Amino acid sequence: MTTRLIKGFHVSQAAVGLRFIHWLLGILIHIPALLYFWFKVRKLPVTATLLDQQMIRKLQTDYDQRMKYFNREPNEQEKQAFISKEQALIKKTEQQDRLNYSQFFEQLLRSRLFILMTLVPGLFLYLFYFIYHQGLIRFIFERLLATVFVIFSVIVIVFTLLYFSPQDPAQNILGDQATAAQRENFETLFGLDQPYFTQLTERLHGFITFDLGTTYQGYEDVLLNIENRFPVTLTLAFLSLVLAIAIAVPIGIISAVKVNSFWDYSFMFVALIGLSIPSFWQGLIFILAFSIELDLLPSTYIPGQLASLIMPVIVLGTGLSATIARMTRSEILEVMHEDYIVTAKAKGLSNRRIFTKHALPNAWIPILTVIGLQFGAMLGGASVTEKVFNIQGLGSYIVDKQFIPDIPAILAGVVYIAIMISVVNLVVDLLYALLNPRLRAELND
Amino acid sequence: MPPQQIKQHDRYKHGQFALVLSLVFTLFFLYLAVTRQTMVYTLISLAFIFESLIQQLLLRRLVKEGVSPTDHSKRTRIYTLLQVFSLFTGNIFTASFAFRLRQAKETISYTFMTYIFIADVFLVALTALNIFKPYVTNSFLIILISLISLTVIDGLFIHYLKADITETKSHRARIKLLIVFLMITALTGNVLRLLLSYQLYIHYIQTDESKREQSNQFWQKITRSFTSMLGLLFIVIIFSLSWMSTFTFVESFAVENNYQTLLLEPSLTHPFGTDNFGRDVYSRVVRGGVISLTIGVLTTLIPMLIGGALGAISGYFHPLVDQTVMRVLDALYAIPGILLAIAIIAAFGSNTTNLVIALSIGAIPMFARTMRANVLIIKKLEYIEASRAIGESEWKILFKHIVPNALAPMIVRATLAIGTAVIATSSLSFLGLGVEPHVPEWGNVLRVGSAYLETEPYLAIFPGLAIILLVLSFNFLGDGVRDALDPKMN
Repeated sequence: MTTRLIKGFHVSQAAVGLRFIHWLLGILIHIPALLYFWFKVRKLPVTATLLDQQMIRKLQTDYDQRMKYFNREPNEQEKQAFISKEQALIKKTEQQDRLNYSQFFEQLLRSRLFILMTLVPGLFLYLFYFIYHQGLIRFIFERLLATVFVIFSVIVIVFTLLYFSPQDPAQNILGDQATAAQRENFETLFGLDQPYFTQLTERLHGFITFDLGTTYQGYEDVLLNIENRFPVTLTLAFLSLVLAIAIAVPIGIISAVKVNSFWDYSFMFVALIGLSIPSFWQGLIFILAFSIELDLLPSTYIPGQLASLIMPVIVLGTGLSATIARMTRSEILEVMHEDYIVTAKAKGLSNRRIFTKHALPNAWIPILTVIGLQFGAMLGGASVTEKVFNIQGLGSYIVDKQFIPDIPAILAGVVYIAIMISVVNLVVDLLYALLNPRLRAELND
Repeated sequence: MPPQQIKQHDRYKHGQFALVLSLVFTLFFLYLAVTRQTMVYTLISLAFIFESLIQQLLLRRLVKEGVSPTDHSKRTRIYTLLQVFSLFTGNIFTASFAFRLRQAKETISYTFMTYIFIADVFLVALTALNIFKPYVTNSFLIILISLISLTVIDGLFIHYLKADITETKSHRARIKLLIVFLMITALTGNVLRLLLSYQLYIHYIQTDESKREQSNQFWQKITRSFTSMLGLLFIVIIFSLSWMSTFTFVESFAVENNYQTLLLEPSLTHPFGTDNFGRDVYSRVVRGGVISLTIGVLTTLIPMLIGGALGAISGYFHPLVDQTVMRVLDALYAIPGILLAIAIIAAFGSNTTNLVIALSIGAIPMFARTMRANVLIIKKLEYIEASRAIGESEWKILFKHIVPNALAPMIVRATLAIGTAVIATSSLSFLGLGVEPHVPEWGNVLRVGSAYLETEPYLAIFPGLAIILLVLSFNFLGDGVRDALDPKMN
């Protein structure tokens, strides 16, 4: 245990920011330890006379041996000069060593007793050491921290944008005829008369305690609204993702294997068209073709009816499939040009074996990253698709509320989507760290 | 050349591509001819069938005779010449292929000139559709006639540039004249003319060999990739048509209500029909081209500059600066571009300026990341160390030595991002956010049409096709630029 802590301690001394955190977290331990060190350890008199004599004796034999080796007559004067010079040098380094607080602290950490005694005030510090003693744990921890930070920043950014808006929700809801008293009343009711920082802290507090307030118009509970609308968006996004992966990855693989063939060109052409179609137009054309002309599928979403989800899922998944297919192809092609593939070919492996054993395992990791990144873009596009198919999801909620602007609702909607994206990216990054041997080895170094 | 090698040749692939697309359009026009039973569609589909057949024959002969016109028999040359005239039936694919096949050794100037000619023909044809309108603008006839004569002149220039021009003195004078001519006629909005005059300058006027080599490397790849040239061509056609529309299209047809012409079917007078206010959708789409393009380009250029600068600074200077900048951008990156734009527009009101700002802010992190990654690589190179050793200032090193060498991936990103920006703009207009409803931006035109999906679907189909065409063109061009700039390909 102590060795792990000491390793973590060493890591924490490597960077300025980490050293700062290490001081901050351990301030309760560091202050007494520093004081003790300052007055006791540093002032320790340099008394080791016995040791000095031992050292002189050692230096004497050292000098004699050197003279013997060079076949020269020992000179008493030279000998004294040599001894005093070496001794001064050793003393100096010794002094430097002794002056170092971090070494002193490391010695403290070595004793189990010390740790047990200071466990209560130093708990955070020891946890910090423990997290930093191993690369992977550190990576996961820092990634989690970054996610939390990003989510908070999103809240701050979106709130600040809406706070400084020249639009006036009071006027938009109450109308032009509202008296000054009515408007004042409205503003006190929603805390709009408070200064910026009070409102911001209230919002942040609200997000932590899951109290998102009520909408300005209709006085609805925002959390309840989001709870009702979140599952649809999530289902839509998830199904689109599954569809996209199921279609795009095989297409990308086929295109990469049969590169520059007719199939490759056709698939990539179709993918490029898929990338270029605006989703709302695609939705309209689908409604026109499958609902109006052919009367096969319902044109709007009906909760509980799976058939009505088919068109939105395809529309939302098109752009994603196109990107994934293109990325899959280029990643595999890139891997196929690596040296180890040439080696595998030279060894006489069959093409199929090269592909399944050497190319795929190396290509799929970047593909995973791309999928994670594209997921976010798809969620943004969900608002448009939801409007086209009249789905009561999170995206259309934001669009509906932006005309007032209904600050609690927009803020909550955007933040929840950002949370979803951050969590997906987090999962992708962690998977990446766990499954990529190269990164894992790098982290553990 | 053995047949196998010919089949892998750029020209042969171009021909195949043209054949497939020509066949697809043949089927499409046949379908229209059967369902609509009109003379025009029947004629067009017959022409396309004929062209596809010739294309097929031509491809077969290519395998036998090789890809260079010097090896061709007389019959192949006649076929090629026939395919050149397929341009006048609207078959760009076979026409561009035939033009390419007519030159023995491909020069950049010749390729540009042929595409300029194709753009001219389309500009004339699409402008001339106004003849069927009740009345035209005062300047319409003059401009149409000058455009036609310009097309004829360009046709002659194709012939002039077909032979590789040598560097004799009289030629240099002529080339100078040609450059001036191209610069002036670039006022029609045909950006290809500017590109061509730049090429002519680089190749025949200036004498620096290394510059010529450098520009050759990039432009040769672009001009040989038929998809990126096709993309460039469509962008140029849309832009110049829209650019010239101030003089050639009657503005009131596009923006003023006319209750005599409510919701008319597509016809020669109104090629895309009319909307619920009696406005001519074709005029609106043409007018809106410049607006959509400008917004798309602006919302790419602004974040490219800001994000590029931020990325460069955070990549080059102290890690503390880097961390601060990148963490803030991380937060922006977590919000999808469209949602951020909705939030900004919700806060500051929906108009075009706010839309451009909103979409730009959302794209900053992407450009910053790209730039930062490149700067991180380049700053470790030896020539940077050398310039530091001779005592150059940090800012000078960054913006004179590092940034210019880190631009290639940024340009690739930007070309692909314009398409995304066009889609985002029209999506937001479709939601009723962003561009003011009366402005004929493509998303707005589509939004009006979407209300009449059941009865008048063409109102939504045509503007949507325009958007797809523009975005597809930018994606084609972007792919071409990426292939040309990618160091791995070189």
